[in-house]
Amino acid sequence: MKVGSNLEKVLTSGYFAATGELGPPKSADPGVIRHKASLLKGYVDAVNITDNQTAIVRMSSISVGIMLLQLGLEPTIQMTCRDRNRLAIQSDLLGAAAHGVKNLLCLTGDHQRFGNHPTARGVYDLDSIQLIHMVKTMRDEKKFACGEEMDVEPRFFIGAAENPFADPFDYRPYRLAKKIAAGADFIQTQLIYNVPKFKEFMKRVCDLGLHEKCYILAGVGPIKSVGMARYMQTSVPGMDVPEEIVARLKGVPKDQVRKEGIKQCADIISEIREIPGVAGVHVMAIEWEEAVPEILELAGLLPRPKV
Amino acid sequence: MSNLSDRSTLPAEPLPPCQVACPAHTDVRGYIHAIARGDFEEAYRIAREPNPLPYICGKVCAHPCETECRRGDVDEPVAICALKRFATEQHDLSKGHAPGLTVAEPKEEKVAIVGSGPGGLTAAHDLARMGYKVTVFEAYPKVGGMMQYGIPLYRLPRETIDLETAPLKELGVEFVTNQRVTDVDALLADGYKAVFLAVGSHVGRKLRIPNADLPDVWLNTEFLRRVALGEKIDLRGRHVLVLGGGNVAIDVARTALRLGAAEVSMTCLESCTTQPAHPWEIKEAVEEGVQMFHDRTFKEIVAENGKVKGVRCVKVNFRGFLPSGAPDMDEFPETEHVLPADLVIFAIGQGPDLSFLPQDGSIAQTPRRTIQVNPVTLATTKPGVFAGGDAVTGVGFIIDAIAAGHRAARSIDAYLRGLDPASVQPPEPQKLNDLQQKTISHIRHLKREEMPMLDVDQRKFTFDEVYLGYTEAQAIRAAQRCLTCGAGARVEETKCIACLTCVRVCPYEVPLLARGTANVPVDQCQACGICATECPAKAISMKLYSDEDMIKQIRDAVRRAKYNGEPAIVGFACRYCAYAGEDANVVKASLPANVQTIDVLCTGKVDALYLLKAFEFGADGVFVAGCLEGECHNDKGNVHAAKRVAYVKGLLDELALGNARLEMFHMSPDQCANMAEVVSRLITKVKELGPSPVRRS
Amino acid sequence: MIKAQQKPIAEIKALIAPYHRILILGCGTCVTISFAGGEKEVGLLASSLRIASAMEGQDKIFAEATVQRQCEWEFIDAVAEQIQQADAVLSLACGIGVQALAERYPDKVVLPGVNTTFLGMAVEHGVLVERCRACGDCILGLTGGVCPIARCAKNLLNGPCGGSQNGKCEVNPELDCAWQLIYDRLARLGQLDRLAALMPYKDWSKDYDGGPRKIVREDLRL
Repeated sequence: MKVGSNLEKVLTSGYFAATGELGPPKSADPGVIRHKASLLKGYVDAVNITDNQTAIVRMSSISVGIMLLQLGLEPTIQMTCRDRNRLAIQSDLLGAAAHGVKNLLCLTGDHQRFGNHPTARGVYDLDSIQLIHMVKTMRDEKKFACGEEMDVEPRFFIGAAENPFADPFDYRPYRLAKKIAAGADFIQTQLIYNVPKFKEFMKRVCDLGLHEKCYILAGVGPIKSVGMARYMQTSVPGMDVPEEIVARLKGVPKDQVRKEGIKQCADIISEIREIPGVAGVHVMAIEWEEAVPEILELAGLLPRPKV
Repeated sequence: MSNLSDRSTLPAEPLPPCQVACPAHTDVRGYIHAIARGDFEEAYRIAREPNPLPYICGKVCAHPCETECRRGDVDEPVAICALKRFATEQHDLSKGHAPGLTVAEPKEEKVAIVGSGPGGLTAAHDLARMGYKVTVFEAYPKVGGMMQYGIPLYRLPRETIDLETAPLKELGVEFVTNQRVTDVDALLADGYKAVFLAVGSHVGRKLRIPNADLPDVWLNTEFLRRVALGEKIDLRGRHVLVLGGGNVAIDVARTALRLGAAEVSMTCLESCTTQPAHPWEIKEAVEEGVQMFHDRTFKEIVAENGKVKGVRCVKVNFRGFLPSGAPDMDEFPETEHVLPADLVIFAIGQGPDLSFLPQDGSIAQTPRRTIQVNPVTLATTKPGVFAGGDAVTGVGFIIDAIAAGHRAARSIDAYLRGLDPASVQPPEPQKLNDLQQKTISHIRHLKREEMPMLDVDQRKFTFDEVYLGYTEAQAIRAAQRCLTCGAGARVEETKCIACLTCVRVCPYEVPLLARGTANVPVDQCQACGICATECPAKAISMKLYSDEDMIKQIRDAVRRAKYNGEPAIVGFACRYCAYAGEDANVVKASLPANVQTIDVLCTGKVDALYLLKAFEFGADGVFVAGCLEGECHNDKGNVHAAKRVAYVKGLLDELALGNARLEMFHMSPDQCANMAEVVSRLITKVKELGPSPVRRS
Repeated sequence: MIKAQQKPIAEIKALIAPYHRILILGCGTCVTISFAGGEKEVGLLASSLRIASAMEGQDKIFAEATVQRQCEWEFIDAVAEQIQQADAVLSLACGIGVQALAERYPDKVVLPGVNTTFLGMAVEHGVLVERCRACGDCILGLTGGVCPIARCAKNLLNGPCGGSQNGKCEVNPELDCAWQLIYDRLARLGQLDRLAALMPYKDWSKDYDGGPRKIVREDLRL
């Protein structure tokens, strides 16, 4: 046990993990957090809080993480390399750890061009793998990035993201290996809709023995509408949405689509559970947090284990 | 406009092969480019400058320039001679025969010239302009030498000779005709400070074969002279055989035809591929019905009772003449046969009549019995006496004699001023290298214009001129075939930053990169102007025009276009298409007065700056008329032009002038007649936008 | 080479608005090659500005000159007289040249007519691409000759990110993903194992982040 977070305990105990995600508001309103937290509490092992996702300014991940702790949930804060240099990152992590945050997802971050402040400078002092390495060094060697020692180190259960469908496709498992070598304890993938292709990816991951060194959680999420499915299929780089996925939603009457989307998500979870090397799922119900309990219920993942 | 034909010193840079091949080093490129531009008077001025007999040469010059023309490596040589003829025909003689040539202050010295052929006339012309008192002695009744007494009327009308000699009389040259000079020393004693012997080669030669002196065995020179002197020789029913295969033999044969001969043949040593006459003259003779019998030597003139029956010939394989003058050949006796004829005319060569030279040999002769001279100064062995032309070289071309006349004049002038005549001779020019194969592969093939000629069936019965001369449309198309060798782009190395743009845009693969700057090899450049326009450092200039010239033309055009409150429209029109097939003046006349065109040879030369300048000077609308895509003379010149037009349209929008004021038209030659209609559409749009808010005083 | 792009005419007009006699000064090196500020562009801009001036009823006077390089004192000294005669100098040089002029002629208003955009090359005539960020610590030997600082939108050293798709960058689908290029290049060179090693944190102090940089060559100083 490196850190002793709930997520870590669930995974090390051998349970199939289920994590959720919460998107902070574009405002200073804590009420939004309280509401969303109430939708997820008890249904997931930990809750990710995005960090200025798609480069749109939102309430900071760390501050929301602290609020979740106060509300009795376990947060997984996210940290990108886009907005902070190594000083700011280390400083924020010292503070987060002091407040009791234990799970951290290290990301490069979506480019600021996509967001609502496209004229801002992108920092990118570090990349995501250097960030993983830095956090691990702080935790296990009690050293700052400059090499200076600290007496009380921040201890994080370190996570990283991976997109199995990005290019170069052949390189992705090796990239995963690199992240694990740098210090990743767990991985959350991007949304999976193409299960066979994901299976292929996982086979290669297992061939490399990576599933034994690191816990791999597959990203899943319900689709609200045919339009959303089409959009993700055609306009989101790195997303692989096979035609059957879209067809299934097209095949039902319009007022049934949301329900079908939830079922579809649950079905994908069930398929993924069969794949060797997958340690859990990360459910991303974007602005639809209330769907999460239903999805997990249908997938047979409720109730969550108490560890 | 830059003066290409500044001949005060022959330029050190290499010259086009045509100019180098011309014995008078005429600026061929200059006058042809002037014709291509539509400036026919300038063409005449340039052609006339080194040549006092341009009308004559335009009709009968042997044009050694065309043999060397580099266009011949692409398709056919440029019709240089025909274009000179065109320029002379366009020249307004009321402006004088030699516009721009000066006459020096009169000098005391008298100079005598013996012979009024092209050599003598040229020397007389030059010396008279230098201020000397010149007297030309001519043995025959009329002036002109071999031009008058050797070249038949159907090639050179006598009026043309008169046209060229009249200005010499106006210059003060004294002509003494019917006066055969027999005593050169007497001339010197008579106060002539120098003498130029230009007596030509008027004595025909006969082969010493049996019966060569019978009455019906004539001599080329005598025959042609008799006809020129006006004698009406009736050859009706006669069967004429001309012995010899050269240009004079052809003149004899075709003259005989026109005098009514029933049959005319020629026979010579040479084969049909080595016959020495000009190929075009052979062709015209054969068209008229002259029969050629090649590969023969003549053994005897067969006669019966003093009447010629024919010539006994034997076939040979002739390889050329040996240094001794004897033919190098094998005879095949078993092929002996008689070519029938009742009149035989020898045309195997001619030499000068040197019987008038002093008996003491003080004017030495060569072993070939021509006058011996120093080839650089043309001085004979007698001080003060010079000689040139056919009298020195044996039979040559008119243009050779003209060059000799110039040389002699320079020498005589130096001699009379106490200078070394060798020191005043200009250095021989250097020739451009051959075109490289990859450039040749990119040059568009253009057919050589055919010289309009009198119908074959008509012309063999008259002495009317056979060649009719090019029409204006033909002349412009013919002139546009010229590659303007060596007159292309020049890179100023201090400005060039080796950006490689010229290398990338040249349609002919010409520019090279060497020692950190671009280099446009002068002998390969086709003067399309694209590199000069595209160069961002303005390091490339064109020899044939400059930005300053163009901008001045634009200013003038805008001024002229401001007419009666109508929109002032300036257009850049490509001469390769915009007027192709049409008389440029007709097309221009069809345009309203508020539309002024500036001609360019290819829109590739139209810089974006020119378009802006037109607006800067106050034009309301501007157009560029270029060829259809794929039809550009320089491959993509019109594509570059279109891109520049698009770019300037963007600027016009940024300036809030309105991009509709500028338009590019792609025209086929058929459309050019309707240019007025095409431009009217632009005028409509310009009127909608209103007058340009740019006001210049 | 330094690449630049001419400012829009509207912006230039605003810059020169208060001045009457303007010298448009071109530069014969980088901006000439970028087709932004050489002698040719000086001519085009002068003509455009004269048109603009006439349209607005002003009578601004535009002089034109181009020097070999505006980043050399000797070259800009050579146009001292023309500069003195002007109320303002509109320089079409890159930012370096503009500043050199301003430093040499501190009492003259010097205005920039181009935007210096990047260090790059022409991959084909008319197409200029960024290639170098002058980071001061070149690692091209480790990445198969493809620079991740200049050509990766996030300047990753351990890329690619998850947005690489079909060899293109998520930020601009016309841009090649630099890390795809690096991957392909290292594969050709048989150096793919380089990618397994963690590239350590970059020393940005060698880049501009360390402050404006200077090189002193004592061996060259006169």
